[in-house]
Amino acid sequence: MKAFRTLFARFASNGALMIAIVYAMMLIAYAGSISSLSINSFNNILNAATPLALAAAGQTLIILIGGFDLSVAGVISIANVILALYPIEGPWGALASLLIVMGIGLAVGIVNGILVAYLRIQAIAATLGTMIVCQGVALLLLNAPGGWVADWMVYELTSVIGGILPVATLILAAVACAWLALKRTRFGAGLYAVGEDETAAELSGVNTRRVKFKAFCVAGICYGMAGYMLSAQTSTGDPNAGEPLLLLTFAAVAIGGTAFGGGRGGVIGSIIGALVLTLMQRMLFALGVSSFYTGLFQALVMVIAVVFAAIMLKLAKSRAQAGTE
Amino acid sequence: MRESAPALEVESLRKHYGPTVALADASMSIEAGEIHAVLGENGAVKSTLVKILSGVVKPDQGTLKVNGWKPPPFHSIVDARKAGIATAFQELSLLPNLSVAENLLLPNLLRNPIGLTSRRANQRHANEILTQFGVADLDPTTSVESLALAEKQRLEITRALWRARHLLVLDEPSASLTDTTWLFEQIRRLANEGLAVLYISHRLSEVRSLCSRATVLRNGQSIDSVDLEGVDDNRIFEMMVGRSPEEAFGETGWPAPAGEAILEARGLTSGKARGIDLSLRRGEVLGVAALEGQGQRDLFRALTGLAHVKSGEIRVDGKPTSIHSPRQALRAGPGIAFVPEERKTEGIFSNMRTAANIILPQAFRMSRFGFLSHRIEEGHAMATAQRLDLQPRYLGFRIDALSGGNQQKAVIARALASGAGILVLFDPTRGVDVGTKQSIYRVIRDFADAGGSVLLYSSEIPELIELCNRCLVLYDGRITDELSGDTITEQTLISGIVGHRSYGTATAAEAS
Repeated sequence: MKAFRTLFARFASNGALMIAIVYAMMLIAYAGSISSLSINSFNNILNAATPLALAAAGQTLIILIGGFDLSVAGVISIANVILALYPIEGPWGALASLLIVMGIGLAVGIVNGILVAYLRIQAIAATLGTMIVCQGVALLLLNAPGGWVADWMVYELTSVIGGILPVATLILAAVACAWLALKRTRFGAGLYAVGEDETAAELSGVNTRRVKFKAFCVAGICYGMAGYMLSAQTSTGDPNAGEPLLLLTFAAVAIGGTAFGGGRGGVIGSIIGALVLTLMQRMLFALGVSSFYTGLFQALVMVIAVVFAAIMLKLAKSRAQAGTE
Repeated sequence: MRESAPALEVESLRKHYGPTVALADASMSIEAGEIHAVLGENGAVKSTLVKILSGVVKPDQGTLKVNGWKPPPFHSIVDARKAGIATAFQELSLLPNLSVAENLLLPNLLRNPIGLTSRRANQRHANEILTQFGVADLDPTTSVESLALAEKQRLEITRALWRARHLLVLDEPSASLTDTTWLFEQIRRLANEGLAVLYISHRLSEVRSLCSRATVLRNGQSIDSVDLEGVDDNRIFEMMVGRSPEEAFGETGWPAPAGEAILEARGLTSGKARGIDLSLRRGEVLGVAALEGQGQRDLFRALTGLAHVKSGEIRVDGKPTSIHSPRQALRAGPGIAFVPEERKTEGIFSNMRTAANIILPQAFRMSRFGFLSHRIEEGHAMATAQRLDLQPRYLGFRIDALSGGNQQKAVIARALASGAGILVLFDPTRGVDVGTKQSIYRVIRDFADAGGSVLLYSSEIPELIELCNRCLVLYDGRITDELSGDTITEQTLISGIVGHRSYGTATAAEAS
């Protein structure tokens, strides 16, 4: 009985696993509610979720170190505008475009990193600044929605390889693998150390400033990729493209079980969190619920997830304390 | 591997934080293979020394040499490690969300050929280290948050033992160890191999059994370094206090008043404070003497509703009372007002005017139709400000424009202005100038003489002697002694707080 209880506790405290099960159940419910579930409709859900998942992946790194990154909205907007204004055709063009937007994200990340890690400006203030600057730049480049994203990107990146494997799945799987590798670098261990207790991390010999700087750089690259995938879907440019995603990235991270205090959680949970949020939009749409209610349900899920995570953390702590008595 | 130059040589180290001088002039030298103790009444000085040696804090002045070589200035703990100095900190520097192995090896986790950290290699390496230092019972895979406090401390120490090349710094390493056999064995073994050890402990018996030499610090200065053999305890106390115990005796204290108990604790347990019995009477100043971290913080916070009371009872005015917040404390019986330790973060509202800071607890009562004016605020703050010699013109300034001493006066004025009959003061004169201290002393005595009650913790022994009717000695979370009147002396208090012996009408068994 006790073994079962600890097993359950360990299971329940794994936020990513819990939310993955929720997602599976929702997917089954969704499949039952629409008349014909094809690989195509499945692909649609994944495609819609990919930009959010990538943005949330980057945001997770920042939240793991106990920070907060608003620049995600600005980077996505700039990336989208650039891709719509300067489309480069063909697979090589798509690769070149990808590198360009990743570079933009990296540049913004470097600025954030310098401000937060080295000049010790609070993350929320520093990234609010970079977000506003980025949005201004996006509007300067393109003052109204318009432009065309390269056809190759629009078609190939939203397709299904060999009729069974959606490209979006491949991309999400690649991000998940990249995270698992990153987690096993010294930098990865540093992320968790800095987020848990910056002083203790410093006393353990971790170069806390470099860890924070790198986290913002990697996050910026993720936002650039999110803008890239968003452009492939919308196929057009919008200087405000990033704004609707801003708060949803935080919601995805929260649903995925990453603690906003830092030090606990991971990217996989956030990716699934993004999938849950997007699937819910689709489900409510399929059920004929007015889109005005979507936000309400998303918020509800987020609050439940956060409260659940808080309860689990409290239980885990009281168990750990009971062990020390 | 004895070398001619000492393993560690520091000369005239000086460090101040704003106007507070933490280290005035500290010099000492430790030979290779020597276990050297640092003794002194004030914990802040010792911790500053530890931080300088481990590269966390940069000294303002002074030189540091390792094996006769002057390393480049330390910018972080990594630089100190490179110079061969490793430290086990008193407030453990472990990361609870990481595993034992990761905590041990950070920041240089072992990597496989493709650059990813290898969990298995790290665990194996950690296991080797743990076995080498006799802590093989710690499992490298467990996360540190599930370890007991003593296990965490052993891990913190092991990390330093393993990393130390020339000098090992141990800051109160035995604080949460129930058995020191392991610790002493490891220290002696490494010292035999030629490592110099700086051992900081307030437990004199431990220092005597382990260390060969000791440096005594007083007022941030190194007074002398002595061979412990052939120096008796009295001589050590004398160096710590600055005069001989005989001279220190004979100071007269205040008589213990016979008033009824107004604030009592029975078997109070909270955090580090365990099973505390105390009773504060009407019209007295009850002191608490203790070295840092003996549970006084938890005790004071529990009495004022800031910390959770695990067990035991608080009685106010004879009635059992549960206090869950400072607000409830202010409303219990005659009212309990708390002056916290951290003025900057807990005491003042730095962006508000001094007058507003003082009358804040009464703001609602003083408002007219819900509004406050500067005139009303200053009018009400004036009377209490004058009791503390706080100049009226300061009342209109923003409080962060005032000196530390005047800020502290305002914080105490707030406690007085609240109308509470009980003041709970946690180190109220820390980091303030002599003049302010005198004003604070006078207010404390006047308050008690007028029938109020004061519970006072101070890190400065002379202050307790000057002010208290009775004084409790807190050691290791328990009250080990109760002194009153003439028996409150530097000698009795200092030997009490280092756990040496008890003098007065001891309520608890003598601490070992």
